[in-house]
Formats: sequence, C-alpha cells, structure tokens
Amino acid sequence: MPFLVWLQQTAIARWVGESPSIWAYPTILALHTVGLGIVVGINAIVDLRLLGAAPKMPVTALDVLYRPMWFGFALNAVTGCLLFAAGAEWTGVKPLFYVKLALIAAALVLAVRIRRSILESDAEAALTGRARALAVASLVLWAAAIFAGRYTAYVGS
Amino acid sequence: MTAFVVWLRSTALSQTLAAQADWLWALSESLHFVGLVLVIGCAGFFDLRLMGLMRNRVSLAAARQFIPWAQVGLSISLATGLIFFISEPQQYVVKAAWWAKVSFLVIALANAVVFELVFGRRLDDLDARGETPASFKAIGFISLVAWLAVLYFGRMLPYLEPGLNSNL
Repeated sequence: MPFLVWLQQTAIARWVGESPSIWAYPTILALHTVGLGIVVGINAIVDLRLLGAAPKMPVTALDVLYRPMWFGFALNAVTGCLLFAAGAEWTGVKPLFYVKLALIAAALVLAVRIRRSILESDAEAALTGRARALAVASLVLWAAAIFAGRYTAYVGS
Repeated sequence: MTAFVVWLRSTALSQTLAAQADWLWALSESLHFVGLVLVIGCAGFFDLRLMGLMRNRVSLAAARQFIPWAQVGLSISLATGLIFFISEPQQYVVKAAWWAKVSFLVIALANAVVFELVFGRRLDDLDARGETPASFKAIGFISLVAWLAVLYFGRMLPYLEPGLNSNL
C-alpha cells in the first residue's frame, strides 16, 4: 500500500527502525512495554476490585488510578505510532494488528463506562452482577489485546 | 557456567521444550506479558502508596491487598521465563542484559522480603491516611525502580550486545 510505503520512508520512521542507537527502536519498544504495564495493570486493579479482591479498597477511590492510566495510554499511543511507522509495510498489512487496535479501543470504552456507571455511583453498585460482568469483559479484552500484540510478531500478512 | 549450560541443554526437558518452540514460544511470551502487567500494576500501585502518593484516598492496608495478585503475576512470569531459559540457556547466560535483569529481580524480591519481615506486622497499626515514614518511601522507590529495570532489561535482551565472553 502506497501510504504504508511512504510512512516507513519518512525520516522519523527510518530513524526509529534503522538507527543502530539503543535509544531508537529498543528503548521505544521498552517504553511501550512500560506503558502496557501501566494501562493494563491499572485496569486489572479496577477489574479485580469489582470482582471482590482487596475489600479494604474503597470502590469510589479507584478513580484516582484513571489519570495515571491515561498517562500510560498516551505513552503507548506515541510509542505505538513510532513503532508502527518503523515497520509499517509489514505490520500494516497484518489483519491481527487491526484486531489488536479494535480490542484496545473496546477495552478503553469499557474502562470509561466502568468509571462513569460504577465508580462514580455509590459503592453498592460494585457488588452487582453487572459490575462483575463488565470487569470480566474488561480483563478478557485486555488479555486478548496482549495476545494479539504478541502474535502479530509471529503471523504473516 | 558453560558446563551447566551444556548439561541443561542435554536434559530431556530442555530438548522437549525446544522442540515445541514453534507454538510454545509465542504463547509463553504472551503469558509472560500478562504476568508482567499484574506485577507492574499491583506492586507498582503499592510502591507508589508506600512513597506517599494517593494517601488521601487509599490506605496502605487497601493497596497492600493487591500484593497477592502481584505474586500471581510473578508466578506466571517466572514459570514462562523458565520455559525460555530451559529451552535456550545458551542465548541468555552470555548476555549482560540478562544478568542485569536477574540481578534487579533479586533486588526487587529481597526488598519485598525485607519489607514484609521488618514492617509487615506494623502496617495495620499505622494511621490509615497518614504520611508514610522515610523507610517506606525508600523501600517503595527501590521496588518500583527494580521492577522497571527488570522490565527494561528483559525487553532489551534481543537488542543489547552480548557484552560477555560468548564462546558457547
């Protein structure tokens, strides 16, 4: 695809992908993994709490975690775009990569919905079956996104 | 170390795992990341609370209740990490990045054990919303840096030069 070819030839994409510097591809990839830990780790904390873990943790206090969660997401949006550009011709033609993006989008929509409909309402809501169902769905979506991301490196186009 | 690697590769377990690499590697890597997420999320949350962040909203005892889930994550990552190491030990022992990763893992674990032994029982007596003592801040900071270093050097494994005598 012409767009993917153009993208991978841009100066920034070539620096990320072709520079021998440890600060190019390897460090950007490591930062992407740090962001993964922040985003999915925080969502796991919220989901586990809604499923009954850590009863001393007030459900209404879980919203303090959303600001660092969005920081982690911003880090991964930026590093993810750089990593994609560096390998656009290969990654951009793999359907599994777009499955990963769709899973992340769905999981983020769910994270916002959990905050609005459960964390910001009274704590009682956390004990309902609906809250548990949303938490399970969130955990499944994030785990699936991790698997899709990892398997993207293995599958062909 | 050479003798150990040669012995390990000669074991049936190592050869069986290596023979299954086509499907086992990608699956184990994915699970390794799932474990990483639980460690960074749950241990990182407690570390930040130890350092005094979020203290107006979250008690130490509450943040500490997620530690068992960090242990679940660590178990998943250790088990899958052992699959990589037992399959291909010669890839790892020659890499400075791997030794750095293992060293920071030992530091993170020792730090956690010291915390539990020295402060574990006293945690519940502390003012739930109060400022944490300097010793807690130091332990939380060491833990956070050590776990991020484990992640960093792990992710760098394919990219950093061996850095050690690699005649295996």
